[in-house]
Amino acid sequence: MGTFWTILGEVVNNSVFILTVIIFSTYLSLMIFSAVSLRKYLRKNSYVDYNSIITSPIAPTLSVIAPAYNESATIVDNIRTLLSLYYNNFEIVVVNDGSTDDSMEKIIAAYELEKVNYYFDYRLPCERIRGVYKSRNRSFKKLVVVDKRNGGKADALNAGLNVIKNDLVVSIDADSIMEPDALLKLVKPFLEEKEKKVIGAGGVIRIANSCEISGGHIKKIHLPEKWLPRAQVMEYTRAFLLGRMAWSELDGLLLISGALGMFNREIVIQAGGYSTNTVGEDMELVVRIRRYMAEKKQPYRVEYIPDPLCWTEVPSDLKSLARQRSRWTRGTMETLFKHRKLFFHPKYGKLGLLGYPYWLFFEWLAPIVEFLGIVWFTVLAITGRLNLPFFLLLLGFVYFFAVSLSIWSVLFEEITFHKYEKRRDVIKLMITAFLEPFLYHPLTMLMNIKGNIDKLFRKTTWGKQERQGFSGNSKPKKGTKANNETLEKKEEIAGDH
Amino acid sequence: MTFVLLLSVFPQQHSAAMSVMQQDAAAVSSDTIPAQEETGGVQSDGNRYTGVFARIFDTFEKSPTLVLILYIVIIYSIITLIVLTVFILLNRSRMQKEQELRQELNEQYQQLLIDYLFDEEQRKEIFRKILRIASSNFRRQILINQIIELSVNMQGKVREDLRNLYLDVGLKKDSLRKAHSKKWHENVKGFRELAYMNIRSANDRIIECLNSHNQILRMEAQIALVRLSEDNPYTFLSYLEKPLAKWEQITIHELLTQHNLNVPDFNEWFDSENLSVVKFSLQMVAWFHQKEAVDGVIRLLNHADEEVRIYAIRTCGKLGEKKVLPHLQEMYDQASYNIRMELLKAFAQVPDENYLEFLNGVLDKEDDVQLQILATKAMENLDEPGISRLIKLMKKKSEYKNYQIIIRHVLDGRIY
Repeated sequence: MGTFWTILGEVVNNSVFILTVIIFSTYLSLMIFSAVSLRKYLRKNSYVDYNSIITSPIAPTLSVIAPAYNESATIVDNIRTLLSLYYNNFEIVVVNDGSTDDSMEKIIAAYELEKVNYYFDYRLPCERIRGVYKSRNRSFKKLVVVDKRNGGKADALNAGLNVIKNDLVVSIDADSIMEPDALLKLVKPFLEEKEKKVIGAGGVIRIANSCEISGGHIKKIHLPEKWLPRAQVMEYTRAFLLGRMAWSELDGLLLISGALGMFNREIVIQAGGYSTNTVGEDMELVVRIRRYMAEKKQPYRVEYIPDPLCWTEVPSDLKSLARQRSRWTRGTMETLFKHRKLFFHPKYGKLGLLGYPYWLFFEWLAPIVEFLGIVWFTVLAITGRLNLPFFLLLLGFVYFFAVSLSIWSVLFEEITFHKYEKRRDVIKLMITAFLEPFLYHPLTMLMNIKGNIDKLFRKTTWGKQERQGFSGNSKPKKGTKANNETLEKKEEIAGDH
Repeated sequence: MTFVLLLSVFPQQHSAAMSVMQQDAAAVSSDTIPAQEETGGVQSDGNRYTGVFARIFDTFEKSPTLVLILYIVIIYSIITLIVLTVFILLNRSRMQKEQELRQELNEQYQQLLIDYLFDEEQRKEIFRKILRIASSNFRRQILINQIIELSVNMQGKVREDLRNLYLDVGLKKDSLRKAHSKKWHENVKGFRELAYMNIRSANDRIIECLNSHNQILRMEAQIALVRLSEDNPYTFLSYLEKPLAKWEQITIHELLTQHNLNVPDFNEWFDSENLSVVKFSLQMVAWFHQKEAVDGVIRLLNHADEEVRIYAIRTCGKLGEKKVLPHLQEMYDQASYNIRMELLKAFAQVPDENYLEFLNGVLDKEDDVQLQILATKAMENLDEPGISRLIKLMKKKSEYKNYQIIIRHVLDGRIY
């Protein structure tokens, strides 16, 4: 019996040690790639005059699709903010996804809309479009409003894709606050296209909790006052500045946040548009268009902009966070399962050999392994089989390495965009990095497990009525009741992993 | 954060083994350990550790190599943490100070330059002052930036005075050094400075960079050459091997339109082997309405590359020359879907009632909604004859086609 335990222990021990080394090496490599990519980007863009795009008649025209569901309180202001984005040739297509409140009436009144005789070409299947509206007032000529039966966010985006005519499409979560120059920065990778077709581009999403917001724009940036959103700032900084930047450099990016992304319309349509059978339609779309291009054997790229282009409010209470994380996990599982063919398939290049396995092992399975580990550890501790000194040594090893990675990401933020002006905010962020592994990470791990359970035993989709759209460019001031309500809704749609 | 996840997996496995080890250790007599120490703390995997190290490794009852690796990573991480924390906090102060200094110097230099330009009596004294303050690279760079910023907004003698000052202070050397640097971002800075100061001594170096792999460098070289060339600033298009990205095209177009440069005959590049140059030339022919290039454009309608054909069709539409229409009509039946779309758009831009029957035929024949809409739009643009025909069609009952919906869509002026 003793020999059995010895052998089992050593086998598992060595396997997990090797796995840990692989994980740590991967993160170290990603950090290096990210640093290289950031440096290149900053140098390159220090010479860029984005105004050239605004004034150029040969710059591409864009269509911005903003799905909206029961956004009566803020829809009018949100549209105004979108209309004021810096870009010359663009249209805003607001898709009213069967709102049951008075959203549509408010938009019609505010923008002097009238129904036009539109002939719908349902290239992508979507719920019935009841009508397309344009303004009588030439000042709002960029605005198109599509009124349709409720079908969910993906369905609303597909309806928008059926209506637009421009080659490049921007999908946004209308709850997000876009930087005024977001379109200019997002379109640039498409303008730089060479041998490889650029099929999509995304940017950094930042956290707006506690920031001062007025007229649909961020006026002053603060670190969130509450602990939970602050931990998410750390998490987002690490994910965007270390993770995605590196994956973009490696050309293995699998996710463009649903909050803001630009795509080649024709590729999206040919690949079948947004999937209405998943709660993670943003990731699923990127995987599908990449897969489509790989199967067509057409060289392509998915680009990523490290500039903060969009601000979003994140859940500030555990219940909302749990729902959000459960949804993200279900979305990941659905996408990975749907595209399981990609797994280590050389035909798909980096998508199959790098991106997919990374998401499978590191984003989906790792929390499960962690959870099982904790269970096993607890059992062993209770039964007196624990080697406490070695456990503490391993704890130190993992903890310090993890915190050092977080601090690297704070450094990247500091030397690039340094959005937090107050030194106090940076110190708070660094303290968060030290506390997060104990206070925040275990929570998200458990929420992740709940997502797995939800997917396996209960929820398959989020249901039509659960999808949210617009709610927040002119957000209420921090700490108000209305703000909390906004966040309640927001937690369901903050489409990022 | 998978690291933290695994910390809990480790102990469990170790502890599984450990429990046995502990049992085994109990079975082994206590004089085994001193025996190991006497032999230099020889461990089971062959590594040798003595004294303090041996005691540390014994505490963990694990492979010394493993423990050593863990210690190294922990120490490395802690050192990194300390260094980064200090750096982040100090960097804040450094950046702030640098920003303040930059601001102060900008204001100081700007004032000095204005005094130099407009106070003839004090000019020598001010020149000496400028020489004195241009003591470090940092300060000289700010001075260069200020001279360029001022010269962009100045004309004639004042601009010439600024250029002379730039030369007299010896700032040209700085720009040339940057232009010949091995770092691409330094090259870009140098090219820009030389172009603004109209100095051609580094033209060979700039030409070298025209086919650089680095897109930014390539583009900056193009821009610099355009600014530095007197006769035909766009000759570089003739020997450009790399594709001309849309971004570069936008920049070149901006130079043309905003800096009063001579507009070349773009049909000169219709036969270029670089297809991006051909496409750009077609766009420019359309933009500058170079109607004399129309025969060349018609020739490109038969180009082997579909994208070039699309650009040629678009240019035909924008030029508005009716002589292109027979060629466009001839292409239609054999054309791909995308080409058909472009052809119908072009017909809408060059209205000619002689093609009413052709367009009506397209509307009848095509099943695709987009093509039907475009054909209808082209008919609408024929004004009276086209619109009368459309109204007649609206009344027509068809088993296969709902003309009414399509035509109402097109005739609704609010949609386009």
